[in-house]
Amino acid sequence: MFKQFFEWYEKRHDYARDWIAKNNSDVVGCFCSYVPEEIIYAAGLLPVRLLGSHEPQDVTEPHIFGMFCPFCRDVLAQGLKGRCDYMKGITIAQSCLHLRQSFTSWENHVPVDYAYYLPMPSKVQTRHARPYLKGEYERYIKSLEEWTGKRISNEALRESAELHNENRRLMHEVYDLRKDPNPSVTGSEAMVMVVSSFLVDKKDHNAELKRILPELKSRTLDRETGSRLMIVGSENDDTKFIKMVESVGATIICDDHCTGTRYFWNETKFENGDILQDLADRYIDRPACPSKDWEERTRFPHILQMAKDFNIDGVIIIQQKFCDPHENDIPILSEYLKENGFPTLFLEFDVTVPLGPMRVRVEAFLEMLSEEELF
Amino acid sequence: MAEYKTEPLKCWNKAKELRLKYYKDYQEAHKKGGIRWTGGAWALDAVPAGLGRDVYNITGEPYGASIAFDKKFSLECMEATEAKGWARDLCSYMRNYWGSMYLNKFAFGGEYPEPDFCYQDHICCSHAKWYQHVAEYKKTPYFCVDVSVGPYNELDENRLMFVVNQLHEAIEWMEKTTGRKYQDELLIEAVENECRSTSTWAEICCLNMAKPAPLDEKTMYSLYVHGTLAKHKKEVADFYEELRDEVKYRVENNIAALPNEKCRLMSDTQPPWGFLKVFRYLEKYGAISIGSLYTFGLIGIWETKPDGAWGPRTTPMQKGEKITNRDQALRILADWNLSKPEWQHFYDPDLKTEMMLQIVKQWKLDGVMLHLNRGCEGLTCGIMENRLGIAKTGTPIMTFEGNMGDEREFDEKQVMTRIDSFMETLGLQMMTV
Amino acid sequence: MITAGIDMGAKFIKVLLLKDGEIMAKAQEMAGFEPVEAAEKAFSKALSESRLSKEDVNAIFATGAGRKAAPFAQDSITEVGAAARGVTHSHPSVRTIIEVGAEEGRAVKCNEQGKVEDFAINEKCAAGAGSFTEAMSRALEVPLDEFGRISLTSSKSIPMNAQCAVFAESEVVSLVHAKTPKADIARAVHDAIASRIVSMVRRVGINNDVALIGGVSYNPGFVDSLNRGLETTVIIPENAEYTGALGAAIVAAERNKND
Repeated sequence: MFKQFFEWYEKRHDYARDWIAKNNSDVVGCFCSYVPEEIIYAAGLLPVRLLGSHEPQDVTEPHIFGMFCPFCRDVLAQGLKGRCDYMKGITIAQSCLHLRQSFTSWENHVPVDYAYYLPMPSKVQTRHARPYLKGEYERYIKSLEEWTGKRISNEALRESAELHNENRRLMHEVYDLRKDPNPSVTGSEAMVMVVSSFLVDKKDHNAELKRILPELKSRTLDRETGSRLMIVGSENDDTKFIKMVESVGATIICDDHCTGTRYFWNETKFENGDILQDLADRYIDRPACPSKDWEERTRFPHILQMAKDFNIDGVIIIQQKFCDPHENDIPILSEYLKENGFPTLFLEFDVTVPLGPMRVRVEAFLEMLSEEELF
Repeated sequence: MAEYKTEPLKCWNKAKELRLKYYKDYQEAHKKGGIRWTGGAWALDAVPAGLGRDVYNITGEPYGASIAFDKKFSLECMEATEAKGWARDLCSYMRNYWGSMYLNKFAFGGEYPEPDFCYQDHICCSHAKWYQHVAEYKKTPYFCVDVSVGPYNELDENRLMFVVNQLHEAIEWMEKTTGRKYQDELLIEAVENECRSTSTWAEICCLNMAKPAPLDEKTMYSLYVHGTLAKHKKEVADFYEELRDEVKYRVENNIAALPNEKCRLMSDTQPPWGFLKVFRYLEKYGAISIGSLYTFGLIGIWETKPDGAWGPRTTPMQKGEKITNRDQALRILADWNLSKPEWQHFYDPDLKTEMMLQIVKQWKLDGVMLHLNRGCEGLTCGIMENRLGIAKTGTPIMTFEGNMGDEREFDEKQVMTRIDSFMETLGLQMMTV
Repeated sequence: MITAGIDMGAKFIKVLLLKDGEIMAKAQEMAGFEPVEAAEKAFSKALSESRLSKEDVNAIFATGAGRKAAPFAQDSITEVGAAARGVTHSHPSVRTIIEVGAEEGRAVKCNEQGKVEDFAINEKCAAGAGSFTEAMSRALEVPLDEFGRISLTSSKSIPMNAQCAVFAESEVVSLVHAKTPKADIARAVHDAIASRIVSMVRRVGINNDVALIGGVSYNPGFVDSLNRGLETTVIIPENAEYTGALGAAIVAAERNKND
């Protein structure tokens, strides 16, 4: 049932090339989930999030020092290896330092016609961030209009926002099915559903979601649910890892990932009478990346609530090796979850993960969880 | 036979005293009802100055560096931090600082002095999170200002106002938190002092264009530190003017930092604080590091002059501008800080490469040494692109790996060997005299 | 002009005698616990091979990890400089030199005169060195000299991450448990290490001709992986282990030309 999503995920470059040909337009590579995709889409362009390819590579060392996360280097490698040669434009909305380097090195060494750096505020908790971000969006729009030679109307922005909202609502519907004691969706399937959503046109993605939802609601899976796990962390599209976890007696039920719920959790609310302010508010109010979660820790109660709502047994906390933003949260988050009755397992990721040793850790964790139930 | 004459700095002792007094004042602040705040060296420290003349701070980075000098204590701090589950690749200043807090040991003797509030700026990923943890651990009020609004050459009113509005908010917050009435005249004084001290520091760095250089980078570290502690204080601005006059005197009288100066280099990022002997090792080859973008631009504020040269930024006072109210003071303060050279590479490494090449040209350098500092992702951000950009021009450049605050990540022998290889490529031999 | 180069390597001391640009004799001894003694022994061997006495030698330069402790040497140069001079002496077309030893990997960019223009040495999180190959050959229970050869019989590319040697070792263990043929694992190991080396070489640029020296150059499996990664064919100089000593002897001659 999720075959289309897997195909979009695996053959993302082919999809992009087809879309460009069919729409006689361009693709804009997005670094980071804080990029306002609605604006790019309203400009008639396709926003596509850049991911790595989970392969070891030897091309980024001259550009990014080895102490930065493997994901950001994997992303840059795609550009340096010419896999995205169809991509004429790139945009980043600033969050972590690691990914910024992928953007600036890409701009310097991969041929692109358009590159835009959007200084998305980190202090999303101040009321001043809202008008500031709106102002930045105005600047971004001007820049896109200059590049495309086309005006971006408020109507187009509104339409785009509503299309993106619909996508979020539909994905929420799928996630709601996972609250079931025996969910009809595996974590593997849900992951590829969300990840493919930022690789394709939302129109296509919405159509596919609408097609499978009725079936999904009545589907039963021929597998044991086992332990209900939540997975929390940085970027993660490691399908091999998720498959492994779900083969040893567990199901991934929900997540807090930038390639998971943080991407689609909240909708744009049309409350300001000003579409740009509405969009700015949406990106400010979304579940925060750790580098933007201060002075208060808003991530923690959000994660806890999700764990409760989805009736989770345990939480796997993953981080990309060297990821400072998440390292700055993890010890406190672990304690917090434990104090609230949710055991945690911590795992460090690279572009490829050694499944053998990972399996040992996950199985030990699951054993521990089942013992908890006994006592 | 030495080529140049040399003599120690006359104001060296004063520099030391000033620094120790600063930490003592912080420690004893509460005795006379004063206020203590803790935050980063880049937190716009002129702002809390408006709360009174008895406001003292420690800034985390120099404090973390001070701990790093004391290898034994630093290791204790690191281990205490790791015992709490924190990763080893996090900012090493932060880990030293947190360790001191967990162990309740102040690096200058006694217990870790409790701050009244935490006040910070945010530009790298760890900045805001550092004091978020201090505040939650010590149950202290906390306010952080987001200054990551893009490079200075693209600053617009919207971006400036984002920072200024937060500063206004910070002041209201500080009044509420401390119960004190804010005094705008003190803010204005502090802003003027800051402009004076940071511009004068840039002047001092410019004097190092002279051959022979009057100062070497290792010495400069002990002098720029005052700017990282309290650039808004009159005593720091006054000290820098005194220092500048002495350095001018040295230039006029050909007094060198290194009597056998043969080769002029610059470094980059914080040095490995536990291994400053690296600079003494360079001297064996007659090589001197005259500074770095880090030493020049961490607290120095610069501008490009009409003739294209890099020089100290003209202060508002030098322009005849009079600061008369809070909003004006905050606007000037924000604009002044946003032009900081060390804040530009966060958005584009090319901006830093340009400045580094300007330094190579103006200070007439023979090579560049990059410290690939595993302890600071903020200043190492984009460093490999800086390397490429500089190497492209044919300027000799080398890299060595290390950590500013965690000496376990510094391999002394390996680094010295690399320096030997680099010196070879520059055609230098170790001097036997 | 007769000069000598002494390479005080961590494992082997190598001595080379050079007369007017021609190699007269070479000798080596295991460094063991008495490297100075070993150096003296190797020096004597080289002298007797060329029927010279110590007084005939005009200048002696040292190189290698232990160069500062070399007996008889008037001065020393680093391995980076020595490699560049040594290789371009016999192969003047070389512009990039890769040296991979047990512990360290180096890449050197040089000009036609053997002058070093840039160099890179492996950093902590990208190390790829011979000792890993040795450890893996032991783990697979294959003799080291066979390890390279059997990897050539594989045609499968299994990606191994090898960013961190510890993780990489876990990956090998996983492959063994999955009953992957030894030849394929061996190739994966060599590919992974070569990839780390290629990464580092890119810092100085891959400019032909490229030469490879160091202990790992005797491993045909590694050489094959390296050639594929670099997309070129590396030149392996004859008697590559004497490159350092040769470079030191050449510089000794140059520096004493004016005497």
